[in-house]
Formats: sequence, C-alpha cells, structure tokens
Amino acid sequence: MERAENLARLVRISEEMLLDDQSLGGLDAQVYWNPVLTATAMQQAFHTLYPQPRQGDAARFLTVDERNPDSILSCIRQARENARSVRDKISDEMWSEINALYMLVNSYEGAELLARSPQSFYEKIITSSMLFAGITEATLARDEGWNFLQLGRLLERADMTSRFLDIRSQTNATQPDAALETLQWGAVLRACSAHASYRRVYGGEIHVPNVVDLLLFSHEFPRSVKHCLRRIDEVLHDISVTPTGRYSNHCEKIIGALLARLSFSGPPEVMNRGLHAYLDDLQIQLNQAGQAIFETYVLLPGEVDRHFPRGTRPEAMSDWHREQQQQQQQQ
Amino acid sequence: MNLASYRPAKLFDELVDDHGSIRSYYRSIAEKLERLRSEELQQKLRSLELLFLRQGITFTVYGDEQGTERVFPFDPFPRIIPHSEWEHIEAGLIQRITALNLFLYDVYHEQSIIKDKVIPPEVVFGASHYRPEFVGASVPKNAYIHVCGTDLIRDSDGRYLVLEDNGRCPSGVSYVLENRAAMKRVFPQLFGAHGVRPVDTYPADLLATLRHIAPRENPNPNVVLLTPGVHNSAYFEHSFLARQMSIEIVEGRDLIALDGFVYMRTTKGLRQVDVIYRRIDDDFLDPQVFRKDSCLGVAGLVDAVRRGNVALANAIGTGVADDKVTYAYVPAMIKYYLSQEPILDQVPTYLAWRDEDKKYILENLPKLVVKAANESGGYGMLIGPTASQAQLQEFRDKILAQPRNYIAQPVVNFSQHPTLVNGELEGRHVDLRPFVLWGDTVKVLPGGLTRVALKRGSLVVNSSQGGGSKDTWVLAS
Repeated sequence: MERAENLARLVRISEEMLLDDQSLGGLDAQVYWNPVLTATAMQQAFHTLYPQPRQGDAARFLTVDERNPDSILSCIRQARENARSVRDKISDEMWSEINALYMLVNSYEGAELLARSPQSFYEKIITSSMLFAGITEATLARDEGWNFLQLGRLLERADMTSRFLDIRSQTNATQPDAALETLQWGAVLRACSAHASYRRVYGGEIHVPNVVDLLLFSHEFPRSVKHCLRRIDEVLHDISVTPTGRYSNHCEKIIGALLARLSFSGPPEVMNRGLHAYLDDLQIQLNQAGQAIFETYVLLPGEVDRHFPRGTRPEAMSDWHREQQQQQQQQ
Repeated sequence: MNLASYRPAKLFDELVDDHGSIRSYYRSIAEKLERLRSEELQQKLRSLELLFLRQGITFTVYGDEQGTERVFPFDPFPRIIPHSEWEHIEAGLIQRITALNLFLYDVYHEQSIIKDKVIPPEVVFGASHYRPEFVGASVPKNAYIHVCGTDLIRDSDGRYLVLEDNGRCPSGVSYVLENRAAMKRVFPQLFGAHGVRPVDTYPADLLATLRHIAPRENPNPNVVLLTPGVHNSAYFEHSFLARQMSIEIVEGRDLIALDGFVYMRTTKGLRQVDVIYRRIDDDFLDPQVFRKDSCLGVAGLVDAVRRGNVALANAIGTGVADDKVTYAYVPAMIKYYLSQEPILDQVPTYLAWRDEDKKYILENLPKLVVKAANESGGYGMLIGPTASQAQLQEFRDKILAQPRNYIAQPVVNFSQHPTLVNGELEGRHVDLRPFVLWGDTVKVLPGGLTRVALKRGSLVVNSSQGGGSKDTWVLAS
C-alpha cells in the first residue's frame, strides 16, 4: 500500500514536471523518465517490455501495467491479497478500504479517470493509502500485527524518500540550469509532502543541502529517513522486548548501526561523498535491514530446503505450494 | 417483483402447490415482494452486489487465469422451510450423523458391521479414504465427524432425500451467515413477523464443539484453524470462521510437533495447541505418515494425535463414511446400530462393483447420473440425459476400468424455487445443505445453504459450475 502510494507520488510529480520541462524547452521525455526508472530499479524490466518506448509508455508501465510486478496496480493487488490472507487480524474497515481501492483501479471508472485526469487518479491512490493508514491507526489493536505493519510501512517510506532524492541527484550533473533545478528540487519536496515543512524550517529558497537535511536527517519530519529508522528501531525493540541501545538479533543490529550513522553525520558529509554515492550506500543497507527482518521473523530456517534441492527458484517453490493448496477438497 | 407471471415447475415447486396457489408459509413474503417496485428492487440488488464485493465474499475458480476470483451469485428470494418440515429434517440428520459416527468407530475398532455381513468388506477396505493405519486408534469422545454438511434434495413429491454426506471438510457455512447478514441489511422489511430462526450462533456452537474434544478435558484449550492457505478456494471461509470464533488461523508451517505435542510458533516462542480444526485433506496432514511431498502439513502431527495430545476435527479417516459407495449402505447402518428405520430417505444407488448393477448401469447410461466415488464439487460426474456420445463412452470405459470407483443414480428432477433472472422470476432447481455439529449435544444449524442452479433446467448447483445461493429461512413455529 505504501509502495503504491509512493509510486503514485512519483509518477504524479514526474508527469507534472514533464509538463514544466516541456514548456521550458527542457529534456526529451525519454531522457527524462530514465532516472525515474533507474531510481526505482525498474529500468531493465521497462526496456524488456518496451524495446522502443513511445510517449506515455513509461507512465503506463509504472501505473497500470500488470506485467510489471512493481506497478501501482500490481502493488495494490498484492496489498489486497496480503490483506485477504490476514483478514482475521485486521479490522473490517481496513479491509473495506483496501478492497475498494482495488476495485476502483480495476474498474472501467478507474481507467476512465486515469485517461481523463491522471492527476486525480494518482491523488485518489495517495488519499486512499493515507486513509488506510488513518483507519489502521484508529482501529487496529497495538499488537504484533500492528508492529509488523508499521515496520513494512516505515521501511518502504525510508527507501522511497531516498529514491526520490536520488532521481534529482542523477539529473543534477547534466542540468546546470538554476531555474530548472529549483523547480525540480521543489518537485522532490512536494513528492514527499515536505514543501510546507521545508518552508517553515528553511524559508522559501531551495538549497540542496537543506533539502538533504530535511529528507535524510530531520528528527521531526515523518517521512525523513532518520525519522523512519528511529521508529523502526523502536518497533523492533518492542517486538523482541529488548531494551533500546542493545540488540538481540541481526536486524536490530543493522538498523541500530544505520541509525547511529545518520545521527552523527549531516549534509556536509553527504555532499563531500557525493549525493548519489551516499544514497546508493544507504539503499543497500536498507535492503539488508529488510532482508534481515524477513529472515528473523518470517522465513523459518530449515523449512525451505526440506522439500526442495538447493538452488530451486523461489517461483517454482511457490507454484508447487499453490498447487497443493488448491488440491485440498472443500466438499 | 411480478409473481403473476411466474410459471411454477411441473414437478415440485417450493412456492406454488399442486392446485396453483401459493403455499401458506410463503404468502406473507410473496405479498411483500409483489409490492416492491422494480426500481427499488434494482437498487437493492445493486447494494447487495456491492456489499458482497466490498466484503470480498468471493470464491476462486481453478484453472481460470483471468478473474480467478468471483462473487458467489446471490438470489434475494429466500427459501422458506416451515417448522414441522424442519423438525423432520433435523431428526433425520441427527439420526444419520449418529449412525455415521458409530460406523466409523466400528470400522476402526471391532468391525462388527463387516463380521455381521451388513456391509461387504470390499466397501470399507476398498474406499480410498479408509485409513487402515488408524484401526485401534482412539479418538476423543469416540467421535469422528464433528462437522457434517449433508446435501438434501426434494423429489417430485416434495420428499426430502439425502443426496450425499460431506464428512471430511464440508464448506459453505460462511455463505449461510453472510447471506443472512446481507438480507437483514438490504431487505429488513421482509423479515417482519415471520419468526425466522437465527443462524448467527453457529461460530459459537462450532467453537464449543471444538473445545469439547480438547485433550484431558482442558477447560481452556488453544483451538486453531489449519488452512491450506490463501490459494485455496475456501480461504474466505477459513479466515471468516477463525475471525468469528476469535481463534488463530494457521498454515502448516506455523505449527511444529515436538516430542508428541503440537505447538504454534509465535514471535514470543512456542505455544501449545490442543485442538485443530483442519481444512486440509488427510493425505497432506503429516509428511511423515501420509504424502511425503506435502508442504501444507506438520511433520509429527499424527504422532501427537495418536498420543492424545492434540485433537483433530474432523478426525482422520472419516472419508470412508462419506464415500459414495458407502452411502448406499447408510440405511442398513441406521438399522444395524440404532434399530431404527431411516427418517430421511435417500436416492436409489447402483454400485458398479456389483456385477448385476454394473450391467444395469452400462445398459441404462443415458438415463443415469454417474458419479466418481470420492470426488466432490460436481467434478467427475456424468449426467446421462444431457451427455454427448463421447462423454458416455468416456464414462463407460472408466466404469469398466475401475468399477469400485463409480456409482450411478436415476436422475432426480429435484424441486424448483422462484429465482430472479434478468428481473423476472423463473423456476430454478435448488438443493439444501444443512450443517450438523457433533459436540456435547448434536446441533443442526437451522436451515443451511440453499444452492441454486442458475442455468435453466440445470441440476448442477456447485459454485464452481454456475451455481448461486439463497438465504434459507426456518420458521420458529
């Protein structure tokens, strides 16, 4: 859900910027979409499906293409499928919201809205995701289910904030145009709903180090990477009932170390290292943290190899699993 | 709704009697439905559909890549069963499950029904769901079938006949509860002074049934529901029931058997499990005992069951009782164990493994319904009168190859009920699946699932084959 929301934020803002760019006599659309696809690690998949992309293909690929497992539509489908499998753990209102969004994006009305007013379509997805978060906040008991839901959401958010920053870090080199730069960094801030916060803290003028400060290091701004990590750290300790400052498993260790690094550095270190290189590092560590959480709490060591020789593709395992599930007679 | 244009069935019609008048217990609802204007009805139908969609009350059709998930079609005209009829059905169902449980205990212990030559040994030992490994194993309270779904149809005289027993993992009860909830929400005015018996105690009754078999009379047992997983067609029902009973829903990988006990993995460590309401087949329960390649079961589960440290509902091996060949012997079972005459009749059945029956079946194939002994869901079935030459030949070959595996029955043109089809009421065939719980006492859920064959003239009511359902009203008096 969070991923669908963030993708919607990304595509919405990208399309908006594209309009600006064109009016400024800016980049060719394709050159423009490339960093977006790279930042979301979907470039290769895109070029396989669209060897000769035309205008609108990139947006289509990111939004409604079912062949893309990371498109907004696919994310919503997966979120609903996950919700379906834990329906006994979530509130009816949470299910209704996620199911309603799924039905909307799959309906004729949804397709029509996307064609007529893409902005409203993305708006709708963002609102629905935020509504879902609100409903969750208001209706879900603060038990483990809640904690794991928070973990997923926060990890995704931290990852996406760093990706948003990365998009600009890549176009930056080829874009010396100051007006355009202001516009683009402004767009990044808006994509993260950070515009108002930025103005309040740093005033109206946009400087890259300030943007970096807000989106990576802010203690208060809820979408900043550091804020997300701090919450992840709390949630992890809550789950394992380990006192803060210590760790009882691998994922707590990774997150703790990452948090310490962010707590004791700032924009100057980032700018020295180079924004892109810094973000690259950060994303690798976020991925490791996600993987460690999965291995600690979801994957049960030893279970996987029981039926399959080493090196079996995960898809082959899940097909087999699905087939057996379907074989069970429900009379 | 226009009842005047409704053409009742030639055989048995649920709404209209032989003299062409509406049966007394349908009169009040018929009046109310007649008064419903068409726009109002359309609007209510739309909100029903939306309600089901929003709740995600859907089932999965396998082998269908596109839109694998479907809403179970729902017809708003409720089926009504008067009090006296229901008393008869209820008594018949209780008698039947009693006999089936005695039979299961017997075939897994003394086997006196075989020794006394009431049932031939081939019927029991040849059933694919018979579990010789469990002969002599004891089960809590000597009960095997705790949850039973028995399919009933009405013949041309309106007699209720048992079509089959489902004593392994009967499904469909969630639709009974959801159908009623939807009807109450969208058509509250229809209920009026009818005195419709409520169905919503089912989850509590099911939980009591499950707690009843907890090992060592544990007053506070940990009960879980074991599901195959989200890809199973009945997953909605599994999560629905778990939610309604406030118990954990688990997959095999969430459980672990250690030293003869079964535990549930939680992030805070292991928690012992006492009762498992399992919705997976015997074959997949335990890779150490049954299918080695099962990734849905729990290695060591059967050992824990044998030691009496965990109870399963339904017990292992109940499939021998709902086998379609065994079915033919249920009336004899009732006489043998209970010294009673069967209260509910059943459909005459020819068994292909008996030579004289096989001859009759092969000669009369186009007039008969042929069923595989262990299939469900309307699969593995031949309806003679509508079958093509190729299909007839296919089944002829199958019967000759595996006679034990096939039975045949005459085509029963079961009763029809008015059903809304494109805004008009038309007669459609219906069956009834009541649900019986065998716990401290035997409880029958008032009503059950009325399934409708939505295709005109069709006798197949299964959801996977174009069936729908109706709310079923049992009247209190």
